[in-house]
Amino acid sequence: MICYKCGCTLSEKDYCTGCGADVGMYKKILFLSNRYYNDALEMCQVRDLSGAIVSLKQSIKLNRNNVDAHNLLGLVYFEIGEVMEALGEWVISNSIRSEKNIATDYIRLISENQTQFDAMNQNLKKFNQALEQCYRDSLDYAIIHLKKVLSAAPNYLKAHQLLALICIRLEDWEKARHELEKCMAIDSKNIITMRYMAEVEAVLTPVDDGHVRSKKTKTEEQKRGTYTYKSGNDTIIQPVHKRQPRALTVLLSIGIGAVVGLAVAYFLILPAKIVSVEENSSRTIAAVSEEKDKITADYDSLQHNYNKILVDNEELNEKLKAYTGSEGNVGATDSLMLAAKTYIENPDSISEIARCLEGIELADSMDDTDKSESYRALYNKLMELTSERLSEYYHKLGYDSYKNDDFEGAIPNLQRAYKYNRSDGEALFYLAKSYEKTDQIDKAKEAYVEVINSSPDTERAQKAETELARINSQY
Amino acid sequence: MLDFEEELRKFHPSIEVEDAQETIFSQDFTDIADALIKILDKAKESGE
Repeated sequence: MICYKCGCTLSEKDYCTGCGADVGMYKKILFLSNRYYNDALEMCQVRDLSGAIVSLKQSIKLNRNNVDAHNLLGLVYFEIGEVMEALGEWVISNSIRSEKNIATDYIRLISENQTQFDAMNQNLKKFNQALEQCYRDSLDYAIIHLKKVLSAAPNYLKAHQLLALICIRLEDWEKARHELEKCMAIDSKNIITMRYMAEVEAVLTPVDDGHVRSKKTKTEEQKRGTYTYKSGNDTIIQPVHKRQPRALTVLLSIGIGAVVGLAVAYFLILPAKIVSVEENSSRTIAAVSEEKDKITADYDSLQHNYNKILVDNEELNEKLKAYTGSEGNVGATDSLMLAAKTYIENPDSISEIARCLEGIELADSMDDTDKSESYRALYNKLMELTSERLSEYYHKLGYDSYKNDDFEGAIPNLQRAYKYNRSDGEALFYLAKSYEKTDQIDKAKEAYVEVINSSPDTERAQKAETELARINSQY
Repeated sequence: MLDFEEELRKFHPSIEVEDAQETIFSQDFTDIADALIKILDKAKESGE
């Protein structure tokens, strides 16, 4: 202890032996400061850190140069997790006495490990965030932050107390008590801790008629939705505020989040995806359709060409058949040549010539353009030489058949007789009758008309008129 | 019953590193001993 005026070491006297200054009161103040420090030291030994803080602050208020008080206060702050306050006390202590001061070591211990120092600072920031979330009533987030803070700084008293307060607010009494017990372990006489604990104990262990309630009684009351406790002489019946279990709340939140996520995916992401897939599909379908149309067009063109080729081939086959078959030009020419040859060899063999010429009867029905000029000339010449005799030959054959009632056989011969000789009205008359006999009435009428026209005013024409009238009356 | 809002107001944000210097040096370091010395000095001056 030194004189505040001259700096001399003070003796047991109430004045300074160096300068004579009255230091009685001054010494009492310093003694009082030291007394508070000693009290704080004793409180620290029973972990009454709140009481120690109060005493140490009093000690420093009395004597700001009490280095030990600053150092101890820093330690107490550090013990309850208030790192910056602790550092502040040690810095002040170090500024008062920079040599042989344990505060220097404390400061170095904290500041030399930068990572640890940053982690401590981050922890303080997280606590402040949690406190901010409490102000905004985001208690769930605050709990999460506080648990992180406490996992890094298990002795952070203020964080424990705040967590306990939130638990009380959420009426999670057991958890609140658990946190408050931790607070008590850190600081046994903290007034906030004790008040919270009293509140929690009042809820968890209500007293009825001076007896602690059994768990069974509590359960029955909880079933009724009330609990009862005594306050002085009054019995208070209070409703129990039931709260959903935390796990259930978290599960519900996760479930709701999943549902919302699925809803967002279903209503926002999925439609866009479907549209994209549909667009791709449409493009693919359009490309395939275009390709199909092209193939179909090619197929139609090929089919058309194929049909045209078939038709052409058929026409060519017909022409070829006309030229090469027994009924074609080649056959007709052969028959004509054979008939001419027969005539040249024996002009009187009419039956043989007629047989040859029957081979070209069908060729006669063909278009004249299909026959050559020489063919027509030869045919005409042969007809000029043989037609009259051919007509007579066929007339005889036809009439014989008619007489023998072979009307079917008579018709072709009588047709040939009239063809080779247009003046043979008799052959035409019998042809008409043969038609009539074979029920070819229209042909019969035409033949009768032709008889009338070709040889009018003849007996045969009169007969034809009579027959024609008869037929007309009958049919 | 505790008033949550009221109790919450008793919690103050922790001092962070960025604010530590200002907080430490803005404290009032005047102690009783300083006050007594001033009183004694004033008394001495008035006595003279």
